[in-house]
Amino acid sequence: MDIPPLLLQTAGSLAAILALAGLAWWLKLGGAPVLVGDNDIRRVASEVEDGFEPLDWAVSQDHTAALARDAEGRIMLIRLHGNRFAGRILGAKAGARAAGDTLTVGCGETWFGKTRLIIANPNPWAEAINRISEPCHA
Amino acid sequence: MPDFNPTQYAVPLFVIAVLVEMIWAKLRAPEAYEPKDTLISLSFGLGSTIAGALLGGFALAIFIEAYQYRLFDFGPQWWAVWWAWPVCFVLDDLAYYWVHRAGHRIRWMWAAHVNHHSSQHYNLSTALRQSWTGALTFGFLFAVPLVLLGFHPAMIAICSGFNLIYQFWIHTEAIKRMPRWFEAVMNTPSHHRVHHATNPRYLDRNYAGVFIIWDRMFGTFEPEVDDEAIRYGIVKQLGSFNLLWAVFHEWIGMLSDIWRAPLRHKLSYLLREPGWSHDGSRETSDMIRNRWRARVAAQGAPVASSVATRNPIAAGSEPA
Ligand SMILES: [Zn+2]
Ligand SMILES: [Zn+2]
Repeated sequence: MDIPPLLLQTAGSLAAILALAGLAWWLKLGGAPVLVGDNDIRRVASEVEDGFEPLDWAVSQDHTAALARDAEGRIMLIRLHGNRFAGRILGAKAGARAAGDTLTVGCGETWFGKTRLIIANPNPWAEAINRISEPCHA
Repeated sequence: MPDFNPTQYAVPLFVIAVLVEMIWAKLRAPEAYEPKDTLISLSFGLGSTIAGALLGGFALAIFIEAYQYRLFDFGPQWWAVWWAWPVCFVLDDLAYYWVHRAGHRIRWMWAAHVNHHSSQHYNLSTALRQSWTGALTFGFLFAVPLVLLGFHPAMIAICSGFNLIYQFWIHTEAIKRMPRWFEAVMNTPSHHRVHHATNPRYLDRNYAGVFIIWDRMFGTFEPEVDDEAIRYGIVKQLGSFNLLWAVFHEWIGMLSDIWRAPLRHKLSYLLREPGWSHDGSRETSDMIRNRWRARVAAQGAPVASSVATRNPIAAGSEPA
């Protein structure tokens, strides 16, 4: 029986890919960084948007996500993605819902998804996010 | 015509090298790898090989057609003209510099090339993170001048195969600097880290494939500074491990921008640089860099190793 070489290569490569990703998982590569000190928030916020200087912020209880506000009143959502942080400055498409001490925030992008933060007194944040009328500066 | 694809034979070496780097990461920098990111990057590699096999014929057909109109003829035994090989390799690398630069400065081409940059990691698996949609751009046209000069399409394909293999090993944080003479002439891990960085000072710099001299020559070179942590990826990080979204997000973004834009701006969303917008609502890499420069200058801190900041005339003349 003749197997087309492209199919054979594809099968071989696929096996190698799964083996390597499995090895990365087995070696416990990655780790889980957390947002703890003020410096972490400042550093990550300026990585998301150069020059963004948080004035006040709320960090989720598990230290994997945060909301930060700058002097201009812009609100930034930061969350863990793999073992790096990713974030967005929230625009008009963003939405938030508070229930108890849980705040669920979406930036309006399907694939960025929704982020759940456990913070004390989430209502003011939810109201502020739902009030944003600026067009989303994508 | 020799049917030889060097990258195909290099794949086992790639696998072994990634394995070795993972062991290095385990010992020295476990955060350098992330299993989901690795899986996505390697899937990009496999998918691009398949896409190349399915769609690469189109470019080849154009090359063979263009070859009929060649200026110089190396004869029926063109492969035996030994000096043609290094000349072809260097010229192909020059063409690579320009196709890569276009890949960052023309959104149509960025839509495909962004795939290589959308990981927030920088390791050997990132090297294999190659686009699936390169055939939907016109990047291959940059090699047509070589064909017209008389270099056989197969010779060009082999040279660019070795070019790609060279670029594999530079995707690592395990090597800090190569010897000074090597850093001066060749593309290195240090130079290419800059290329993958989103720090404003590094945006759209170091387009080189094999020889860094092209960046020095055409004004796009930026050295890596040691006192600033590099962050990798794209200005607006994906924040998603969905493979298909990672493959097509910029195509979708570009097409929806073209769809929504007023008629006279539609073409600009196809051909201008990523981040350009007709209403100024977004930022290009030049705008981000200028804003960063202004901010650092206002804080009174010297911008280390940025000649342009000390020389306001140079700061105004961004390369296109
Ligand atoms: Zn690039
Ligand atoms: Zn690269």
